[in-house]
Amino acid sequence: MTTSFDQRALATLPSRGELAQHDAAVWNLRLRRDAAAAEVPDWEALRERAAALKAFTLDHLDELLIGFEEKARAAGAHVHWATDATALCRIVTELLSARGARRVVKSKSMLTEECGLNPHLEARGIEVIDTDLGERIVQLAEEKPSHLIVPAIHKTRREIGALFHRHMGTPEGEDDPERLTRFARADLRRRFLAADAGISGVNFAVAETGSIVIVSNEGNVDLGTSLPTLHIACLGIEKLVPALADLPVFLRLLARSATGQPISAYTSVLTGPRAGGELHIVLVDNGRSALLSNETQRGALACIRCGACLNTCPVYRRAGGHAYGSVIPGPIGSVLGPALGGAAGAELPHASTLCGSCSAVCPVKIDLHGQLLAWRGERYRPPPAERLLSLGAALALRWPVLRGLARAALRLLWPLLARRHSRNPAEAWLAARELPPLPKHSFRAQWKQRERGRE
Amino acid sequence: MSERDDILARVRQGAPRRTRHPGLHPPPALPGGWDVFAAALAGVGGEAHGPYSPHALGGALKELVRRRAEGGRAVAEPSAAELAGRGPWETAREPATAHAFADVGVALVKGCAAAADCAAVAVTESDAPHRALPFLCQRLVLLLPVSLLAPDLHRAWALVPAAAARGHHVTWISGPSKTADIEQVLVYGAHGPLGLDVVGIAD
Repeated sequence: MTTSFDQRALATLPSRGELAQHDAAVWNLRLRRDAAAAEVPDWEALRERAAALKAFTLDHLDELLIGFEEKARAAGAHVHWATDATALCRIVTELLSARGARRVVKSKSMLTEECGLNPHLEARGIEVIDTDLGERIVQLAEEKPSHLIVPAIHKTRREIGALFHRHMGTPEGEDDPERLTRFARADLRRRFLAADAGISGVNFAVAETGSIVIVSNEGNVDLGTSLPTLHIACLGIEKLVPALADLPVFLRLLARSATGQPISAYTSVLTGPRAGGELHIVLVDNGRSALLSNETQRGALACIRCGACLNTCPVYRRAGGHAYGSVIPGPIGSVLGPALGGAAGAELPHASTLCGSCSAVCPVKIDLHGQLLAWRGERYRPPPAERLLSLGAALALRWPVLRGLARAALRLLWPLLARRHSRNPAEAWLAARELPPLPKHSFRAQWKQRERGRE
Repeated sequence: MSERDDILARVRQGAPRRTRHPGLHPPPALPGGWDVFAAALAGVGGEAHGPYSPHALGGALKELVRRRAEGGRAVAEPSAAELAGRGPWETAREPATAHAFADVGVALVKGCAAAADCAAVAVTESDAPHRALPFLCQRLVLLLPVSLLAPDLHRAWALVPAAAARGHHVTWISGPSKTADIEQVLVYGAHGPLGLDVVGIAD
């Protein structure tokens, strides 16, 4: 059954009384981002440069992809191309099956979430362990990530403690974040050492050298890609950057925008496989080439997945990531939704106040709120009642007599509109807020009286 | 048409070649220096030591490694062992697999470039041929000649030897491994090292 954004939002955070906690946790990330950005003297110049580099990349993407493929092969990597999610799942399954790999450690990759790789592999008897702590938590809870950077931001330490008790045998009632992290470390260390293959996402791919760049804080990416013999890297075709020397621009922006760190703990630039290992890079399209040809919306392909637009968004903060029903939540998810998100994505451009805060913090200067508005204009077909209301408003604004009549009618209807009732057209709004009573005299009447008083 | 050609043909349609590469970003005017690096490293959970003159280095390192290893196994990558001399550590040889390092308490690795503003130290394949070692060890000790310290990431990036950057892996390490995935409580020691020390070597 499909549910609406409102229904999903109400079914997640607010119903559990965790709205304020979620809001505060997410806003805290925004504050840290602000503090980190303020310490960088050339912050705005960096954003300009990053936007220009991404614009160049998208304008020359085919050339850069061909260059990347050639250099990656020369460095000893195997390069595969996948048109869509099905192709990615097929390629990865074939690579694993051909080597008899049954145990896979995986590090964070929104692309594999988008393509449903985990359930595909699990259905074929391959064990996939998410190794990022937050991803591991949502995997054990059989949920989806609710944030790009902090996948389990919607879960409390108590819930996580109970989850670890069930799955890892931690002491009952243990909910200390440091001790829980240590238990997960020990549990996952064992799995890293036993894994047959590692699957990772990619943050940037360098056309000049055929390198892939992966950033992480936990060290899971490097353990997962260097211990097993086989490393499969899943790479969206938009992740290219022209040259190695372009990377510092993005690296100085990424972690500061995400968590306020000056840089992530680990930034690994991998060119070819490790000694004695195999590296397979799967380049995935899955709707990206179509988005590239959409003049108004292609800018979203510049996204470096920092999550800053989520942290600042008043809708995301209060609705939570699961309300979006898409792999990527928040403003960027709402922009990508109609293009990549299937049926659920169509309504997402409306999950925004268009306040523009997302565009203001975006490190690569994507015009997020402009693109959301453009989607609405392109896709939204208002119901008859709304069209009638718009027409009425247009007429009233045109003719002062009608405007006066409308005002008088509204004053009469106000008490009815303010009453909570399932047949009240304003009920959706009233569910979360109250209509204040109207003052006895309208603003216009008060103004006239004031003017008279002055005379 | 193969999937590759199919994707490239569609990408070509959306790539009108209107823009030019904007060129290199001019590095910001930042102070740099060992003290700036040490302060930034403390901010990300690491600890800076020194810088020591080459003849004082051995003694300081022995003391530090003993303290960090707490009787456990200490291993130095070959280029780090060359700088550090002899001490309470073994030199890493070619093991059959990286799994042979699973019980390492302290690893010593040489850095080949560093950025003071973000406390990131670059480690390349020539200095850390066992790619998993800097992540498997419980505590990592990086040896950094101060001549390889630049004020910012742009300048530091340019210090990584071109051959190393093009042919192999390079990892920039800033502090110990960390996570804040449980209610945003910062915990050092997620999957990688629990602690990071950077020992400066004066010219």
